[in-house]
Order: sequence, then C-alpha cells, then structure tokens
Amino acid sequence: MGIHNLGYRHWQGDRTSSAFHWLVVAENGIRRAWGSSWLRRMLFFAWLPSISMGFLIFLYEQSESGSPASRATLLQLSPLLMDSDTDIRNTRSGVLDLLTKSRESPGEARHTFWSSLLLTLFRRSQPFILIPMIGIIAPPLISQDIRSRAFLIYFSRPLSRTQYVVGKLATVLFYVFLITLLPALLLFCTGVLLSPDLSVLSSTLDLPLRIFAASVVIALPTASLALMLSSLTVESRFAAFAWFSLWIFGAFTASLITNAQWGAPDSGLRYLSLFELFSDVTATILDPDLGDREIVEQLSVLTVITGVSMAVLIRRISAPLQA
Amino acid sequence: MTAMIQLRSLSMNYGNFCALNDINLDIPSGVTGLLGPNGAGKSTLIKVLLGLIRVSSGNGKILGHPLGSMAKELRMQIGYMPEDDCFIHGLTGIESMQMAARLTSMGRIESLRRGHEILDFCGVRQERYRPVQTYSTGMRQKLRFALALVHDPKLLILDEPTTGLDPEEREAMLNRVRVLSHDFSISVLLCTHILPDVQAVCEHVLILSAGRVRIHGSMEDVCRVPSPQFQVHVATDGVGFERSLTELQVPVTGRKDNVLTISGFPAEYGDQIWQAANTPGQFVRSITPSANSLEKLFLEAVREGQHGNS
Repeated sequence: MGIHNLGYRHWQGDRTSSAFHWLVVAENGIRRAWGSSWLRRMLFFAWLPSISMGFLIFLYEQSESGSPASRATLLQLSPLLMDSDTDIRNTRSGVLDLLTKSRESPGEARHTFWSSLLLTLFRRSQPFILIPMIGIIAPPLISQDIRSRAFLIYFSRPLSRTQYVVGKLATVLFYVFLITLLPALLLFCTGVLLSPDLSVLSSTLDLPLRIFAASVVIALPTASLALMLSSLTVESRFAAFAWFSLWIFGAFTASLITNAQWGAPDSGLRYLSLFELFSDVTATILDPDLGDREIVEQLSVLTVITGVSMAVLIRRISAPLQA
Repeated sequence: MTAMIQLRSLSMNYGNFCALNDINLDIPSGVTGLLGPNGAGKSTLIKVLLGLIRVSSGNGKILGHPLGSMAKELRMQIGYMPEDDCFIHGLTGIESMQMAARLTSMGRIESLRRGHEILDFCGVRQERYRPVQTYSTGMRQKLRFALALVHDPKLLILDEPTTGLDPEEREAMLNRVRVLSHDFSISVLLCTHILPDVQAVCEHVLILSAGRVRIHGSMEDVCRVPSPQFQVHVATDGVGFERSLTELQVPVTGRKDNVLTISGFPAEYGDQIWQAANTPGQFVRSITPSANSLEKLFLEAVREGQHGNS
C-alpha cells in the first residue's frame, strides 16, 4: 500500500547551495559507520585515556596549591600514565623537578606539564585506537560504492568528484577528530577551568593551535591512505587487510632495517614505519623542545603520502565513468 | 518546436576508437527512442549529455545550456536512470530517495516528503523501508526510475527501463512515461533494445550504429514507406484474389501467402477490392497502409553500420 499517493506533481521549492553536497555524502558515511557496534566500543575506550589525563591535570593543580596528598598521588600515577619520551623524561623525578620549578615560573611549568600530557595522549594511547578504528570505517566507504555502482547515482547528480572525495574524507576525519582533536581540546579546557585563574591562557595559548595542527597532520594522511586502499578493490575486507598490513609490515621492516644497521637509526628509512612517522611528527608539533626531529622531512613524507593517495583515489573514481 | 538537445559535429574518441562520429542532431521535446546495437555509442552519448565526459570535438546545447559547461546546473535538470544495477549500499529505498533529493539541493524534510511522493507514483510500497540490497530486480528497477525523477527533471534519460519487469509492471512503467511526457511536459530519452516499447510510447526515434546517426526523425516519418502502398489480407485463396484484382486493373506488386501488397492508397482501389471480394468464398480480413517496421529499420541501420566499418 502506498503512503499517500498523490500522483506525480512538479516540485516547487527553494534549493539550497550545491557547494555543500559533500556534507550529504559525509553525513551518510558517518551514520552508516555509527551502525557498527565495534566502532562505538572503540570510541568509548578512546576516551578513557583523556579522562585519566584530566585527572592528572586536577592533581597537578591541587599540588600547586599545596595539597601533599595530591602531590604524592601525582608522583605515583605519572610514571604509569605518562610517556617517558616527553620533556619530563624520567617522569617521577621529572614531575618532581617540575613542581619545584613551578614555584619560580608557574606558567612555564604548567605549559610543560600540559604539553607532555597531550603528547602522551597523541603518541601512546590514541594510535592504538586510531588504527583499528580507521580500519573499520574507511575500507567499505569507496569499495562498496564501486561494487554497487553507486557512482552512477552520485555523479549523475550535481555532485563533483572532488565533493565526493571530500565527503568521504570528512567521514573518516569526523571520527579521527572525535578521538584526537576533541579529547585534547577538552583536556586543555579542563586544565584552564581547574587552574587558579584565566591568566594561564596567556602562557598556554599556543597549545590549542598545536593540538589542531597535530590532529590534522595525523588525520589527513591516514584518511587519504585508507580511502585510497578502499578505492583499489571492490572487497572492503581486502582494503582492511591492506590497511593493517601497511602498519604491521611497515613497522616490522623499519625495525629490521634499523637493527641490521642498513641505515642510521635516525635516517629517513625508519619512516617506513607509519607509527614512527606519526609519533615523531606529533612530538615535533606538540613539544618543540624535543628539537632533534626533522619537521621538514616528516611533513614531506606525509605530503607525499597524502598527494599520492589523493591522485590514485581521484583516478579510481573517474575510471568507471570514462569506460 | 524548440530542440531539447542540439548536437553539432560531435565526436568522441577513446584512444583510437571512435565512439561517436560527427553527430549532428536536433532532438525535440517529447519522448524519443534511442536505439542501436551494442557498442553503437548510446552509453557514450548519454554520458556526454550528462556532462560526465568531455567530447573530443564538436559542440551543442542541452536544455539551452552549452555542452561541456555548467554540468552541475544541467544535471539539476536531468534525471538519469542507468541500465546497470546500482544502489547505495546500506540504505533503504526511502533513504536512497532522500539522499538523491538532497544531492539536488532539496532540504532535508522536503526531500523526505518528495521521496515518499515519488515512490508512491512509481509503485514502490512498504518495501521502501527495506535495505535496497534485499530488493528484487523489478523493485530495484522501479527505485532507479524513482531516483531519476525525485528532483523533478525537465529531461529524463531512461536506459532500459523495462528490462526485468513482468508484463504488468512493464505496461505500468510505460504508462508512467506517457503521463510524465503528456501531462507534465517532461521530455524523455528512452534507450532500449525492446522495440515494441519504443513503438508504444515514442514520438521520435534515433538509431545509432557504429557511432553514427543512421536514422532520426518522428516515428511517423521514419516508418513511412517511400511510395504509398497498402496490404490486403484475405482469408482464403490469395492466388485467386490476386488474379481477380489484376483483372480489375489493380496494381498488385506482391503477394506473400494470403497478404497482397498493392501500390497506391486504399481509397483509390476500394471499389475494385470490394468487387473482387464479392465472390463466393472470398473474405477480406483487413486493409492496412504499409509501414516500415521498426525492427526492419533497426536491422538495416545495423547492417549499414557494419558495412561502414568494413
């Protein structure tokens, strides 16, 4: 039975701008991905580290205001929760030094502590969720469209190939930002709200920008790479397999090369491991004092990954229409 | 009548292969049948009309828009129903409609309303709430037709719209095409291999073969024979009836079994035919003006294309 059959009628109404058609594609992708219970579980676990970081900020601010219990708890928890390869280095003594230093220069000490926390979040906790999460979201995004010939539906409408790619990219970026940019910014806001006054903003104002830059630098190449893999096959499981293989075999090859001393430990060959690459670039962005990283080299590699992925992606999308 | 599609010296090459060769066309509004054998260039022509591929040479206008520019504006006014089975994985019928409508700049709520309205028109019932990948061939066909129609296009390009439909649904589909064309002035380009479909609904016909236009014109003109002829179908003795007509000075030009072909108009020889029929045992079954069948024209065009290639 029909719903309310009125026959055919001409449509008269106001049309919205066609510049935002990519949003329709993105919205559909986000909604479909949300249907995965695995993804929802991952998002839940992805937020746990940032909650623990928020607790460390609370303890730090309490220690600063002279609470011995908070100070003791902070010294105990920091080695467990924080990355040792940060400005604080050996975390227990590092935090102790920092708390001492904070009496003379509270703004600088706070900046060091917050950026170390953010770096821990970006380098040590989120990648372990980010990689499987993208492995769930991205592989079906384009491969299923190729298999079901959905391009004929998309591109026979006022939707350009660029808008299509932007829409698919936005789907992945949405979830990546949900576990990188958003928790990090909320962590920053938590720190500001827990600090004694709003003057902390002046000494930490660069952090939101660094958070944003680090999130983009992680999200854009990974999303492009994952979508490119998705566009190479009609079977999303093959794309997922290729995605995980890139990370695992990349890390394996890089460690093999480094251990066999075919290249110096700090040579560009270690960037065969995407994990190393993203770890180094986020360290450079979030903690510039760890100044031995080559930002130009890192960004060049990431630009090449993004550029090649995009070129292949556009070519793969155009191919069915040219045939 | 203004031409809905105008193409001038249009050619399209894929490497060394010429898919469209010097196409010159004026397709008026109404329902036009696009015929041709496989590889004739029909799909390429459709992609050119949709602005999906750039032509190698030539120019033209579609719905007043120059070919190759303003492709997005053009696609806002064209509805395309592909021949291939295509759908957006994971969406239900109504979600597909809503998404297609939103991709033509309709608002969220309006696209939902319009989606339901068009699904009702296309005969898609409660199955609209099921994922499209669970649909039968016929249901997918109806959904594709609905998707092409959701944004109220001025030109509808239908690629094999009745393939996979049962006779009842096929008739319903052709009726929808008629309604859209006659009652709502939506021009239709009907690309099909089913010639009776073209004869049933099309006012114009275009036959492509080997990338060239072989036949193009109104259905009436195309099917008209060069010199007037008509056929008399008799029930019993064709030979005897032919003899009688010849004696009465009627120019019988051919006979196949009990069907006699006569040169001229039926009105000219009406008296003689009834005189011959006024013989015991002679019954006239029908008198019909001769016309070229579309099938015959199609086969001639294909042959012409093959000769042109060899």
